[in-house]
Amino acid sequence: MFPGTDSFRCGGSILVRARRSAPDRPYPKGSPHPAEEQRAGLRSDTSPDTSTLLRFQLKTCRLGEQRKRQSLPPVPRQTQPGPPGHGGGATPGAPARPLPFAPPLSRRFLFQPRGPGMAGEAQCLSYTGCNFLRQRLVLATLSGRPLKIRKIRAKEEDPGLRDFEASFIRLIDKVTNGSRIEINQTGTTLYYQPGLLYGGSLEHDCSPSRGIGYYLESLLCLAPFMKHPLKIVLRGVTNDQVDPSVDVLKATALPLLKKFGIDGESLEIKINRRGMPPKGGGEILFTCPVRKVLQPVQFTDPGKIKRIRGTAYSVRVSPQMANRMVESARGILNKFLPDIYIYTDHMKGVSSGKSPGFGMCLTAETINGTILSAELASNPQGQGAAVLPEELGQNCAKLLLEEVYRGGCVDSTNQSLALLLMTLGQQDVSKVLLGPLSPYTIEFLRHLRSFFQIMFKIETKTAEEEHTGGEKVLMTCVGIGFCNLSKTIR
Amino acid sequence: MEEKEKKKHRAKHSGPKAEKKRKRYLNDLGIGEEENARKRNPKAFTVQSAVRMARTFHRTQDLKTKKHHIPVVDRTPLEPPPVVVVVVGPPKVGKSTVIKCLIKNFTRQKLVEIRGPVTIVSGKKRRLTIIECGCDINTMIDLAKVADLVLMLIDASFGFEMETFEFLNICQVHGFPKIMGVLTHLDTFKNNKQLKKTKKKLKHRFWTEVYPGAKLFYLSGMVHGEYQKQEIHNLGRFISVMKFRPLTWQTSHPYILADRMEELTNPEEVRINPKCDRKISLYGYLRGAHLKNKSQIHMPGVGDFTVSDVSFLPDPCALPEQQKKRSLNEKEKLVYAPLSGVGGIVYDKDAVYIDLGGSHAHEKEEEEVRPNHELVQSLISTHSAIDVKMASSKVSLFMDSAPLGSEDVGQEFVMPKEERQVDLKTGRVRRKAVFEDDEKENDDVASDEEDDQEEGDEEEGDEEAASEDGGDGDDENDAEEESERVLLREGIAVRRAKRLKTEMAQEEAVNELPAFADSDDDLEMSSEEEETAPEDSEMEEEEEGDIQRTCEDESSGSESEAANKTADSKQYDMDSEHIETNPQISEQSPKRKAVLTTDSGNCTAEEASESEDENSSLEEGDDEGGSHEELEAEESNRNGFQHSQAKKADSVRQTKVKTVDTEDDDVENLLREEEEYEEKIDLSADTTGALKWKEDLTQKAAEAFLRQQRSTPNLRKLVYGTAVEDEDQESEDADDELGGLFRVSRPDKASKQKANALDCSKFLVEKLQDWDLEEVMSSIRDCFVTGKWEDDKDAAKLLEEDEELYGDFEDLETGVVHKGKAAAGGEQSGSEEEEDKDENMSKQEPEEEEKKKERMDKKRKLKEMFDAEYDEGDATYFDDLKEEMHKQAQLNRAEFEDQDDETRVQYEGFRPGMYVRIEIENVPCEFVLNFDPHYPIILGGLANSEGNVGYVQLRLKKHRWYKKILKTRDPLILSLGWRRFQTIPMFYMEDHNGRHRLLKYTPQHMHCGAAFWGPITPQGTGFLAVQSVSGTTPDFRIAATGVVLDLDKSITIVKKLKLTGFPFKIFKNTCFIKGMFNSQLEVAKFEGAAIRSVSGIRGQIKKALRAPVGAFRATFEDKLLMSDIVFVRTWYPVSIPMFYNPVTSLLKPAGEKDSWSGMKTTGQLRYERGIKLKQNKDSLYKPIVREKRHFNKLHIPKALQKALPFKNKPKNLEKKGKTPKDQWRPAVIREPHEKKISALLSALSTVNNYKIKKAKAKHREQLKEHLKVKQKEDEQKFKRQKEAKKKVYRILGQREKKRQKSSLKGSSKREKST
Repeated sequence: MFPGTDSFRCGGSILVRARRSAPDRPYPKGSPHPAEEQRAGLRSDTSPDTSTLLRFQLKTCRLGEQRKRQSLPPVPRQTQPGPPGHGGGATPGAPARPLPFAPPLSRRFLFQPRGPGMAGEAQCLSYTGCNFLRQRLVLATLSGRPLKIRKIRAKEEDPGLRDFEASFIRLIDKVTNGSRIEINQTGTTLYYQPGLLYGGSLEHDCSPSRGIGYYLESLLCLAPFMKHPLKIVLRGVTNDQVDPSVDVLKATALPLLKKFGIDGESLEIKINRRGMPPKGGGEILFTCPVRKVLQPVQFTDPGKIKRIRGTAYSVRVSPQMANRMVESARGILNKFLPDIYIYTDHMKGVSSGKSPGFGMCLTAETINGTILSAELASNPQGQGAAVLPEELGQNCAKLLLEEVYRGGCVDSTNQSLALLLMTLGQQDVSKVLLGPLSPYTIEFLRHLRSFFQIMFKIETKTAEEEHTGGEKVLMTCVGIGFCNLSKTIR
Repeated sequence: MEEKEKKKHRAKHSGPKAEKKRKRYLNDLGIGEEENARKRNPKAFTVQSAVRMARTFHRTQDLKTKKHHIPVVDRTPLEPPPVVVVVVGPPKVGKSTVIKCLIKNFTRQKLVEIRGPVTIVSGKKRRLTIIECGCDINTMIDLAKVADLVLMLIDASFGFEMETFEFLNICQVHGFPKIMGVLTHLDTFKNNKQLKKTKKKLKHRFWTEVYPGAKLFYLSGMVHGEYQKQEIHNLGRFISVMKFRPLTWQTSHPYILADRMEELTNPEEVRINPKCDRKISLYGYLRGAHLKNKSQIHMPGVGDFTVSDVSFLPDPCALPEQQKKRSLNEKEKLVYAPLSGVGGIVYDKDAVYIDLGGSHAHEKEEEEVRPNHELVQSLISTHSAIDVKMASSKVSLFMDSAPLGSEDVGQEFVMPKEERQVDLKTGRVRRKAVFEDDEKENDDVASDEEDDQEEGDEEEGDEEAASEDGGDGDDENDAEEESERVLLREGIAVRRAKRLKTEMAQEEAVNELPAFADSDDDLEMSSEEEETAPEDSEMEEEEEGDIQRTCEDESSGSESEAANKTADSKQYDMDSEHIETNPQISEQSPKRKAVLTTDSGNCTAEEASESEDENSSLEEGDDEGGSHEELEAEESNRNGFQHSQAKKADSVRQTKVKTVDTEDDDVENLLREEEEYEEKIDLSADTTGALKWKEDLTQKAAEAFLRQQRSTPNLRKLVYGTAVEDEDQESEDADDELGGLFRVSRPDKASKQKANALDCSKFLVEKLQDWDLEEVMSSIRDCFVTGKWEDDKDAAKLLEEDEELYGDFEDLETGVVHKGKAAAGGEQSGSEEEEDKDENMSKQEPEEEEKKKERMDKKRKLKEMFDAEYDEGDATYFDDLKEEMHKQAQLNRAEFEDQDDETRVQYEGFRPGMYVRIEIENVPCEFVLNFDPHYPIILGGLANSEGNVGYVQLRLKKHRWYKKILKTRDPLILSLGWRRFQTIPMFYMEDHNGRHRLLKYTPQHMHCGAAFWGPITPQGTGFLAVQSVSGTTPDFRIAATGVVLDLDKSITIVKKLKLTGFPFKIFKNTCFIKGMFNSQLEVAKFEGAAIRSVSGIRGQIKKALRAPVGAFRATFEDKLLMSDIVFVRTWYPVSIPMFYNPVTSLLKPAGEKDSWSGMKTTGQLRYERGIKLKQNKDSLYKPIVREKRHFNKLHIPKALQKALPFKNKPKNLEKKGKTPKDQWRPAVIREPHEKKISALLSALSTVNNYKIKKAKAKHREQLKEHLKVKQKEDEQKFKRQKEAKKKVYRILGQREKKRQKSSLKGSSKREKST
């Protein structure tokens, strides 16, 4: 339909986004990032896009051809039909008629006075390196500040963005409207000017080199602030060893969101198909309602663990595997608590994805509704040694105990989500008790400060009693009074 | 006589009182005629209709809930900022007089001229910032947004003016502050009745505008040019007790009404380019929400800026300390108005003018010390102008080199000083240019004349030559004074002579220690503490702009003042300041050292890590060179260091080497590992297989990480760096570019984390603890419900407590008292114990207290239970919500209360109520050059992404008082959020199917949609539109009002587009149509679309034809004619012009600030230039000439005819056929004789007829006559009869009378006889 759509490559491409005939925009004023020779080259090529649909402009990649690296998978076909006028002739008065009747140039007021005090010149933040790409993009989107990331794997043999990062950027592009994303030819520099969060019904094919959790974690941060409730189908790897799996996010992140007033029937993660690395083939459905403001939380007492639940899954292997895992895990956990139930989930046929594997995730729920989790998955097919299910079950149980030892009201994977939602609350004090801060959280805190000028009060708490695990950290902040700017009011 | 005067009491016999009495009397007797109606007729009061009852119930509930406001968290700070009182009204209504009177009322001080806001303390808990609002619509809009209370002055002799209504409307749009009306000019009414009437009329009009019952004040007359004292006093009381409801916009955004402005631009830059962007600092109370440093702000009338620095200052107009007395004492009645020149100090954009009270001022000062005097003095003493500091500052490039002063660098040019003089006779202020040379003389003369204590000036020369660092107080003083450029002149007759000075670059004597003299203590306190004393002065130089030392010195100033009051006030103050500062400085250096040491102690880790950073950056440098090394490392990694986890290859190497070298706990090493912890995680994922020999390494790393987190001070540092890192970095930055020569290269912060590592949120466990071990297991034993509980939650304990609480109760029915066993025993024992305790009180006092506490606890608990049962039983949802909000508010207040402000502002931001100083860079020079304090300067904080632009959709309604309608694509000035800007809105209507259809004009009395490209503002924000902000019109200026509905980055507004075509070939119902499209592709897009002919025949587009390009086949429901026109309705998206132009009214030159004009409408332009619009001939109206249309006869098909009912069948009577000849009747032909006869007969009959007619008429006549006669007769007869009857009756009556008489007589006779 549109030339170049299929041959999108991350390495040397420019992404320009405009939904619903966003008119030509001169390049954002005050050109937030210093003129770089690369960009200068790009700019001339970037013709603003006025088509009614999303369109990626392609720049053939110089390096991409030389180096034999895995090129990005093709951009998914647009699931939306063509322009609404097209083929929809049955509806009288079909809109969007591309007639050559553009208003005469004199009537377009492209004049835009630029003074020092103009709006739209939020300072551009600059970072180096591809690490923490997700949180940077998410925070940039939420705070509306443009962002520039330089030196992305600049010194590696294989420079530039990887396929999963490109896929993530594409996902961000899908859920927003009016974002401007520019990537230089080598893919080592990314400029991102956020648009407004749009939402709606979407589909996205995630790169199988990272789990769906990689994408879902960021979506969880963004979804409550969309214009239309998000309903997205993500395809890819549901459970892997690197990212928090969909099961864990379903069990821990959703209850956390509910604490902040984001609840309702439509808050849901549904695993339609399970996909294991390396080939994936899983599919989930994530839906989330929209909120205008969030509630502040005081979440300082985790309470005592009353039950342990979990899922032991196996795909394309013997169903016995799951049972064996459950047995071994129970053996360890039963020393602490009798109320343990671990579901076995064996998926077959279409819903079992493309690769074999098994694994388990465990959650411990306290009487106050805190949920701590741990998970483990088998090595992907053809990588590493085979893992015994018994061993895996035991290790997973031990990991859960470790997590319990760390403690806190939010489990370690969701620390940053909790902190973000606290930041985005009303101008009230929120408190949450965490276990030791993970490096990811620490960096997230730094980013929160640079994007929202917010600092957390961090107090270390030592438990009065002996047998309640390690030291905890009490995080306190005053929300910034964020309100959902995308939501329409009637 | 007296007795006669007394009136007797007369009981009432009628009226309500009597009625009541009677009733009571009857009731007392027990014969009250009716009972209560309800009792008497119970049926009438039963439920008639359940439905209606339900409805009434609903209605009452609705009304009740309507009264509720949604509860909001009370975020007002403990010490709120002054209330903003805006005095508004048309010109010449008495605004300034009211302000002056109010100020006089509260502070007993008379302000000569009001410029800018005036802050006063009005009570023990309230301060007011009073500001006057002119009639410029820009000012009105700006001030309505920040006002808490509006004093709306109305000239009663004139009535309401447009400004009043405009302002009211502005207020309504931007959140309605409290409004109080004040009627002035009431003394112009001579007629009392007229006055009353006017008052009433105005009051009721005012009520309709504000709300019924709104307070309206009357200021009746003037006494000596002021309003009556009592009335002003009452007004003041009303203001100071008024309560305010929080307004949404104001509480969600920080804002400052600036009361002071200073320019901080480097004068050199200004000299080089007088139009360069400026750096300014603005001062004011922070209001609304918390302000974060580096956040975005908007200055209405100027534009958007990023705050480059914020600092809080001691309150210049503080509330009195809490004391138990009713009123303020004289000292607490403060007034603060830097722009108005309170207490003789005026701030201008780049200078400070000091008003000295003439030659005998100081004598007076002895007697009455103005409370604000200290303040002023401190201000004088501390504020040495920046330029002067610049001039006096020295830089030594090398250790032993002579310090460079500004004279070494700068050029020698002499600028004239400005001096204002007050002409004694006329009172006119003149500006006199004074040059350096005369100045000295001038000075000397002045000082001589004025005071002997001005010796300093005479000594000036020597001192300048020989001033050594801060040796002599006087010296310093003079230097300082000199720098301040305050000329002292004497005005003999004038009591207050203004001594005004501008600045100028001045060469000062060479000092050994540069700028030490005017170094400032609190600056140092706030600034970085790691610097030593000499460095400190350097700091000073860097931050010369910093003028935050207004009031810290207050105390010192006052002390000194007390000591020597006789001296010349100003000079004196200088003195004292120096006396004070010197020891302070000396004190500080040891302190600082101490701090330094502790600090270093705290942040060893940090430093270490930094050093590590450098290392790593070096490594990166290496990396560039040797990629082969990296490769190698990777290889090795793959080979088997799998357990050693993720480090970047190079760092892996490094650490490895180091660990091998130093097996013991090398701190640096560990720290490095911590820093690279992330990377370890990454690889660990794919390297689960373990290698034993590396194990302890990871363990160490993990331990170190956790240890780092564990130590309390380090955790914060770990996350945010050192406590005041921001300032640090800035100063460092400044350091970096020292003199523009050297640059300190530092590793940037980002390199702390490995920039290109794997992005993963999981917090992996480095080393699993051995969960099989008992002690490890027991470490989390209590995390489970099976473990041990805390005392207050343990089930057994709780039960016991319950027993204690509720165990004893009294059965009310039986009177049996049950006692809880444990409690009773406990109490008994307790009492025993108490006795015991009495014996040895001193020993067991704490125990006693404990007991007491316990008892109190118990009581409280009981009360809580009671409350829960009886109070909260009927708690509604509303109450719960309120309670929740209240709790949150308390938490908000309590959370950071115990922290000092320095740390607190980092967590919360600057809280409302603080007096802050904000630095802003890149301000257009016009703002500074054309500064006019009469126009308010507002700094409105913007939330995240409110600084961005996008498409904004509004619901808009043209104001009903605005005369014109608004046209799409005409520029319009909107006031939205903090901003005022010009933009081009497009109006639209939303159709029932959600389509946004473009409108050409706004509808007259309806809402419509509008969309424009401009700043993103939260939904629900109100806005108003005006067409122009320049000049004044007699008409109402507010064109439209509305609210923001939606924000987006793209928009869909469509307009209708009809495409026409013409049939060129017509079959039965199918036609070929041309002229609608231009290509086959276009046709293809519209296949299936509905088309219609003008005559109303509907059809559909089928398929493109090949032959004429763009022609297509279409089918219709009927046959078309060649003369028909066919059209298709389409919707064409309209693009919105991206035009956003902030109204920069504050940048206009003084006096022209209300004349900003932006883009003009085409209509305006046409009007101005006299261009006539060329009209399209086709759009002109002309007489319509219609041909008479001839219609063919209606033809009904036979089949149809057959089906029709008879009634509707066309009745075509068949033509009669010719009658056959045989059926023809023969014609009758008369004979001549017969003809004659018939003629005669007819003649006769005619005659006869005539006769009969005549006879009839005659008869009728006769009858009439007869009737008349008869009537007459009858009348006469009736008359006669009547008379006869009369006679008869008279006779009868007489007879009767007689009879009666006789009978009466008879009876009387009888009586008599009896």
